[in-house]
Amino acid sequence: MHTNPTRRSQTAKEETGGEDTVSRRPYHQIVARLKKNMPRYLMLGPALLLAALLIVFPVAYAVYLSVSDWSPTGVKDTFVGLSNFERLLQDGLFWNALRVTLTLYFVSLIVETVLGTYLAFLLNREVPGNKIFRALILIPSITAPVAISMMWLLLYDPTLGMANYLLRLAGFTGLEWLGDPGLVVYSLAIVDIWEWTPFMGLIILAGLKDLPADPLEAADIDGATPLQKLWHVYLPLLRPIILVAILLRSVDLLRFFDTIYVMTQGGPVNASTTLNIFAYRQGFQYFDLSYASTAMLALLVVVAIIASCIMILRRRFSYEV
Amino acid sequence: MKSSGKYAIGLVYVQYTLIGVIFLGPVLWMVSASFKQNIDITAYPPVLVFSPTLDNYLNLFQQFPFGKYVLNSLIIASGSTLLALLVGSPAAYAIAKYKFYKLGFAALVVRMAPGVLFVIPFYIVAVNIGALTSSLLNYSALVLVHMVITLPLVVWLLIPFFEGIPEDIEDAGLVDGCSPWQVFRKISLPLALPGLAVASIISFIFSWNYFLFALTLSTDRTRPLPVIAFNFIGQGSADWGGLMAAATIISLPALVLTFFAQRWLVSGLTAGAVK
Repeated sequence: MHTNPTRRSQTAKEETGGEDTVSRRPYHQIVARLKKNMPRYLMLGPALLLAALLIVFPVAYAVYLSVSDWSPTGVKDTFVGLSNFERLLQDGLFWNALRVTLTLYFVSLIVETVLGTYLAFLLNREVPGNKIFRALILIPSITAPVAISMMWLLLYDPTLGMANYLLRLAGFTGLEWLGDPGLVVYSLAIVDIWEWTPFMGLIILAGLKDLPADPLEAADIDGATPLQKLWHVYLPLLRPIILVAILLRSVDLLRFFDTIYVMTQGGPVNASTTLNIFAYRQGFQYFDLSYASTAMLALLVVVAIIASCIMILRRRFSYEV
Repeated sequence: MKSSGKYAIGLVYVQYTLIGVIFLGPVLWMVSASFKQNIDITAYPPVLVFSPTLDNYLNLFQQFPFGKYVLNSLIIASGSTLLALLVGSPAAYAIAKYKFYKLGFAALVVRMAPGVLFVIPFYIVAVNIGALTSSLLNYSALVLVHMVITLPLVVWLLIPFFEGIPEDIEDAGLVDGCSPWQVFRKISLPLALPGLAVASIISFIFSWNYFLFALTLSTDRTRPLPVIAFNFIGQGSADWGGLMAAATIISLPALVLTFFAQRWLVSGLTAGAVK
């Protein structure tokens, strides 16, 4: 213990660097360091505080609700352990909602990815007017979902809607787009595909513009056909960005709420009740906020599983390239 | 893919037309229906040529306090945007300047949480503090919860703008005796002005469009447009003209601003994940 404190702290700094040194530094050095770093903490402070209030707190509170028996009337906050989760796993409506959520998710995502990739290649062609076109087709993605839902309610109307008019024009019979329990999920998928394919296309386009020129030139020299180039050069190179687009869409698709709630409110007979709609109804029609929180935490788990699968895929592919 | 003969270019435009009809057709159909008499909307087969009328819009404002609803939407969207800018721009600056990129990533994670999960605790708190009875409190509550949407968005959008400012300029400010805060306020912030404009536009639209929070938390007096429009549908009236006029009004900010902020819209929507 006879070593000179300053020297000691210097060696410690060299050996470990960082935290360890802070505690052994003379007081005035700590103060000086705090003073130097104060502005950056002050700059971040309010945002972090708000994030804690608006984001961390609600999630924590939802966890708390899920293990208690909340009721709007009086007796509340009794700890009930995992009984809400047990109830959820035994609830046929929950499994139905999970099935609807995943069907809607996979159908929309696959179509959006394929069409989005096609759109990206089309938008990559440098022709006059393509910048304006890019801006215009983004309109479905930024228009208020409520307005879009109203618009599609009119298009899907069985008697006067454009969708059935076109079907009849082509010689088919009209459909009950939103009234047929077997069809409603696909009708909603069409709306989502319409709304988000341009967005998907623009993300993939950003990736397309960043591609290195070398492999493409090499393929040209080797005399690859356009189809070979697409399959063996473009798609492997684009895989990381396509996975990012898929990740972003997945996260949004799984929480898809507005459009469904406005257009069908989960009907007919729960045929379009996703987990979100299920939880919303439990919470705000039956006022079982504990059960609703439980269902939402289950959805969060589903989102986390799917998101981590995509992240793992992405890491694998980015090493490969 | 470089063969761009006249034929190939023609083919591109054929595809443009087809895609344009598919993606913009419904929007144009909505806008045109809002100017139709109901007799033209219900006409079968659908009519493309009609004599336009403003009746649907006039009805909205005469039969309902629609101006009030527009105002509600404006208050909530601009309030949550302004607050997000106030709190978010120093945060974005700190993240860009001192490289706290983990915090930036956290903003992406926030996107993963479903809105219904947030709205349950918000609702309980709102009931307990009486935010469902007092208008003033209710406005404040709505502005605050909409920051769940706007704050991460603003932070993400501003980071690249602050990164783009050359460090020399900021260092020069420090040498001249400015404190880090003064450098931020007097040098970096004015240089990032285009970024602030873009962030406020996109954040405004997202907040304006958002439906779920106001659906559960707003009161009769504070209801913004999307919730009102939803209630119109619920009334079961077949007034398609009125519905489409309301839908058009709700879409207006997005339609107008597409043209101004197109370049940054994609990065706003992707919240920086492309980088």
